[in-house]
Amino acid sequence: MNNEVDEMLEIKDLKVSVEGKQILKGLNLTVNKGEVHAIMGPNGSGKSTLASVIAGKEDYTVDGGSITFNGKDMLELSADERAKEGMFLAFQYPVEIPGVSTINFLKTAIAEIRQYRGLPPMEAKDFLKMLKEKQKVVEIEANLTGRSVNEGFSGGEKKRNEIFQMAMLEPSLAILDETDSGLDIDALRIVATGVNKLRTKENAFVVITHYQRLLEYIVPDFVHVLYQGRIVKSGTRELALELEGKGYDWIKKEFAELAV
Amino acid sequence: MELATAKTNISRGALGEAEVNKNKAILDKWINDVGVRLNHTGSAAKNIQQRAEENFVTVGLPTKKTEDFKYTNIRSYLKEEYISKNGSVSLKESGIENLLTDQFVSVVLINGKYIPEYSRLKKLPEEVTIKSLFKALEGGNEVAIKHFNSGLEKTANPLAILNTALAGDGLFISIPENFSFPIPIHIANICTGEAKSFYNPRHLVYLHKNAGLTLIESYHSVNQTGKTFTNSATEFIIEDNASLENYILQDEDILSQRNDVRHFTVNTRGRMNSVAITLNGGMVRNDPTVFINGENAEVHLNGLFVVKENCHTDNHTMVEHRAPNCMSNELYKGVIADNATGVFNGKILVYRDAQKTNAYQSNKNILMGDKATINTKPQLEIYADDVRCTHGTTTGMLNEEALFYMRSRGLNEKLAKNILLQAFAKEVSNTIKNETFRTLIEQKIEENIQ
Repeated sequence: MNNEVDEMLEIKDLKVSVEGKQILKGLNLTVNKGEVHAIMGPNGSGKSTLASVIAGKEDYTVDGGSITFNGKDMLELSADERAKEGMFLAFQYPVEIPGVSTINFLKTAIAEIRQYRGLPPMEAKDFLKMLKEKQKVVEIEANLTGRSVNEGFSGGEKKRNEIFQMAMLEPSLAILDETDSGLDIDALRIVATGVNKLRTKENAFVVITHYQRLLEYIVPDFVHVLYQGRIVKSGTRELALELEGKGYDWIKKEFAELAV
Repeated sequence: MELATAKTNISRGALGEAEVNKNKAILDKWINDVGVRLNHTGSAAKNIQQRAEENFVTVGLPTKKTEDFKYTNIRSYLKEEYISKNGSVSLKESGIENLLTDQFVSVVLINGKYIPEYSRLKKLPEEVTIKSLFKALEGGNEVAIKHFNSGLEKTANPLAILNTALAGDGLFISIPENFSFPIPIHIANICTGEAKSFYNPRHLVYLHKNAGLTLIESYHSVNQTGKTFTNSATEFIIEDNASLENYILQDEDILSQRNDVRHFTVNTRGRMNSVAITLNGGMVRNDPTVFINGENAEVHLNGLFVVKENCHTDNHTMVEHRAPNCMSNELYKGVIADNATGVFNGKILVYRDAQKTNAYQSNKNILMGDKATINTKPQLEIYADDVRCTHGTTTGMLNEEALFYMRSRGLNEKLAKNILLQAFAKEVSNTIKNETFRTLIEQKIEENIQ
């Protein structure tokens, strides 16, 4: 009974293709409340596809399987409905939106999410209070959030803005798609510290990364290796360290039969 | 940077006798229709109008082959059976009331005719002249007589020539030397009337040295019962160190067809900022020409056009740098949806003597859907060697990546699209300095982009 309540995301036998090419070939993953899962894998194994499909990007064809989130079938919902249900995707390549300030963007998003959940609109002063509080958590300068979304931001600023948006929207499940890529060690630390501060017993994270480095800062409960569209190995933090030591060739050899 | 080598010419004087006779027959019919014209008001105007008649007979209405009208076939909108008329007053005031605000000096024109009894001139100081152009010419106003057609006669625009030949009346505005009028003058233009009505309003706006004016023009339809064609022409003269802000909102019925010719003369250290927002109207052609005649002048020419259904909006602009050390900046943005067609054809011409010119031009368009069309043609023609001129044009659909990004934050598709379009439009509406009007425009854009 307890297990059922804690289960947040359940992906069963997920098969996904793009323009006729199969990328995910029967993927299984269960994420419970309070957990941090890391998904690692060599380039081209399907990591970013997994993130995009969970978030509801429409360029992909789901050929089979299911994605259930808090008991609801996500494949029936659009990207914005999934966000309103409590999902969040931190983009690998955050998009620039000229002419739309981050603050107004978030104000609109929060209003939409609250309306969907049947909550009253947020008071302006509460929004401002939250804004200041979360800016502090992710160490983002107020002048960045006043500017157009990501416009002219450096790589590090864009990633920090992703974590800031996550902090403001308070999702129950956040998927971080290679948030560490292109970050120097200081930016990485700031981003990871922000994520750690936002961890609670009630929310969960799926951290997608190529390198072990990020996991030194965001310590995962589980580590999965994605290869050829399937999770081929699951373990604890030690698995990540093993990968760091041995590289992905070891996985490629062991699961050579999958590479057809 | 690109140098256009071919010079575009309107073919003149090359018509055969049959064509000339046909043009004369059309013009005679329209002159006969209209009755009272400016030529009743004195010899100066009479001569000008007669010359225009002769000119029109030799050029006629533009055809599809006329380069400057390549993307707007005027003959498919303005037909021979249209009846040339003067503006009328047969309108209930109730239709106008909500278009005016007490924050501006409000001038009401119905089909181009000035209607003093509907206008609100309480805030108008006596230094500022607002009157019927007909009366100004008739009354011997020296400024009006001297400058009437002084700009447009230097162009070969057949529709401007036609306007000069047929013009009945319009507005004359004059701001005296060293007087900067802080209150915007708002001209509410009402288009009303029966099918096939053809109007040729004619206006003249004169800013003496060191004068300042904000002129707001809004265009509306009230009780329009059939397709009309308005061929309006306005001349602006901006003398040394004078400054003009000119904002235009075109928000007419789908039955309204409008050709709006403007001619700006900008003298030494003169400054102008023109912003045209086209939101509704069956056919709209904006055709501004700017002559930069004096040094250190500054010209801003901006436009936003939102075109829907089967409508057509054409922005045809010409900026002529005729003096050195001047700058011009042009930004036109279009949103074209449904089966609509948009046109941007902007030309910058830099004369040999206009050294140290800075001229910029940008056109950006968003196509909504597969059936929407944009024809865009930027042109630079430069004869000076020490200039900085750039132009650029982009056309695309809304950014899919941005849409997905916004949706992943909880904004539905419609809302995400609206926000992107409004952000796109804002770059133009932001160039409107008067806050009251800018706010109104932004509301209108928000309502319009749904």
